[in-house]
Amino acid sequence: MKMIENKIDAHATHSALVRGLVSFAKKQWIWAYFAAGATYFVTLLVVPTGGGAGALLYAALTFASFAVIVGVGQMFVVTLGPGNVDLSIPATMTLAGTLALKFMDTDSSLVVPGILIAIGVGLACGLFNFSLILVLRIPPIIATLSSSFLFQSLAIWSNRGLRIKPPEVLANFSTGGFGGVPNVAIIAVLVSIVGWFVLERAIAGRWISAVGQNQRAARLAGVPVNAVRLGVYTGCAVLAGLTGFILACFSGGANLNMGTEYMLMSIAVVVIGGSSIAGGNSNVPGIWGAALFMFLIVSMLNSYGLGAGVRLMLTGLIIVSVVALASRTGRRP
Amino acid sequence: MKIKSMLLGVVAGAIITTSGSTVAFADTSDKRIALSNNYAGNSWRQAMLESWNNVAFAAVHEGVVDAADAFTTSENQATEQAAQIQNMILQGYDAIVVNAASPTAINGAIKEACDAGITVVSFDGIVTEPCAWRIAVDFKQMGRDQVKYLASRYPEGGNLLEIRGLAGVFVDDEISAGIHEEVANTNFEIVGSVHGDWAQDVAQKAVAGILPSLPEIKAVVTQGGDGYGAAQAFKAADRPMPTIVMGNRRDELQWWLEQKEATGYETTSLSIAPGVSTLAFWVAQQILDGADVPKDLTVPFLRVDQESLEEIVKETPNGSVANVEYSLEDSKKVIQAAK
Repeated sequence: MKMIENKIDAHATHSALVRGLVSFAKKQWIWAYFAAGATYFVTLLVVPTGGGAGALLYAALTFASFAVIVGVGQMFVVTLGPGNVDLSIPATMTLAGTLALKFMDTDSSLVVPGILIAIGVGLACGLFNFSLILVLRIPPIIATLSSSFLFQSLAIWSNRGLRIKPPEVLANFSTGGFGGVPNVAIIAVLVSIVGWFVLERAIAGRWISAVGQNQRAARLAGVPVNAVRLGVYTGCAVLAGLTGFILACFSGGANLNMGTEYMLMSIAVVVIGGSSIAGGNSNVPGIWGAALFMFLIVSMLNSYGLGAGVRLMLTGLIIVSVVALASRTGRRP
Repeated sequence: MKIKSMLLGVVAGAIITTSGSTVAFADTSDKRIALSNNYAGNSWRQAMLESWNNVAFAAVHEGVVDAADAFTTSENQATEQAAQIQNMILQGYDAIVVNAASPTAINGAIKEACDAGITVVSFDGIVTEPCAWRIAVDFKQMGRDQVKYLASRYPEGGNLLEIRGLAGVFVDDEISAGIHEEVANTNFEIVGSVHGDWAQDVAQKAVAGILPSLPEIKAVVTQGGDGYGAAQAFKAADRPMPTIVMGNRRDELQWWLEQKEATGYETTSLSIAPGVSTLAFWVAQQILDGADVPKDLTVPFLRVDQESLEEIVKETPNGSVANVEYSLEDSKKVIQAAK
């Protein structure tokens, strides 16, 4: 940043290109992409030539997609301001995946009702979460954490941990690709575009950001605060349900512990992507950069054959650096 | 006089008949056993609880023991389990069978139970408190056995991919240590190692991430619950399918069976049967009965091979884990083996 600015002074040129670069570098989310790109190329150094680069990118796109879909939901929740976070994402994923796959029972003709069940479970979980928050006035962190026990128990009770395979059509779709792009990535891109539109172009996005910046001010300005919060929490749960469904089809069945890593992952991609953890200031593109980065960093450290201890420590250090850089950029001059 | 001795004879005969028919002794018929379980959130644990219900409840029904209640903590926390064990002490159980959240963190509560005269038998997740019995899994051996099998298949060696469990957990270190020790005696080389957290989806993701950087893989050593995910990742990357050692999960065995029928695919599968909870139940019953039981016992492995595959797939419920439930006789054999 400083370097670029010095350069501008030195040359005293204000060409459109440089201006463009500066405004580009001012985006908080650019650092996530920078980090993802860097880890990608460092990994390629140990990848034997011949298809390795493409295979790695394909795998990264595939697995980043799951983090992106839950990340978009979590991003909206985090935007609502301090203390807003949905910790029930893993349990919602598990419950939706379990119930939908159990209903379809490998029957390819029941795909549509299966998807509707997954979405319905998400909807119900979101409504339940919000009713705890609104009616019982429980802080969101506690409310979503305790409801996640309930959802998880329901999943256990409904299926006793049995793993039911997805219908052939869905298994093939979720593991397949179209034109060199994984199908799950196409879904994630569509979700991101809708998410971006809602956040940046629709009145709902303005409302969400307004609530996150100052809830009292937003209420006085006539924003339907509770309706906004209701929409955000149910939206997040629906996306979690959808991810659970796709992930269950992708990995050959719903597992009781299948969503576990997405609790932290969903928050990490939001923060690394440059959205403010304090709420009110979020972005969608960063989620993609961060999700790719989170996958690639594990691949990179695995490919270099580092031990688990070093791996976890480096992951932590790199994430801290990226978040620090992103938040510095975000500060207004 | 005569009548008295006759009566005695009848009583003795009755005792012999009882012991001969169902159970060894009736001495434990007023004893109450509790299961303290720290976690129920995966298919292995669910099968473990179901086995307990099958065997221990039947034993209650037959009057071998008075009660065999199972309790599970919700959060897999040592503090929570310690509190649970303290409740069991107050409830006056005669024996507590425990699958512990931590080998050391609930030692205090275990000691309290022992001091209250309660027999404590830990299994799978064992405790280090000396007053408790331990039915431990020889995890190192589990690692060694995998490599031994592969070495007999491929004496010429080759490249191995290792899928580990959850970083920082004792079990993961032990299995991995066993694998590495045994690999040193063979021509194999471990060219990559990832953490799959004992979950199919995590393993699938980790393997997909490292595959592009790896040369051709001859075989994959695993820790259970991760074989199917690894197979999916190899398939998605369009790489030749290596020999993946499985961990007795139904989906792994099912996949193996399909490959066997299609291409003659060969591998092996080993893990601990969730029914080990029933072994612990019988050991506790034996101790209450006054049997001389060594403090350290070892759980036998349940192994599936090319021949037994079809039968075990048929017996294992869809989505569960290959299982055996132990009988009183089995537990006596395990006790005998440890002496």
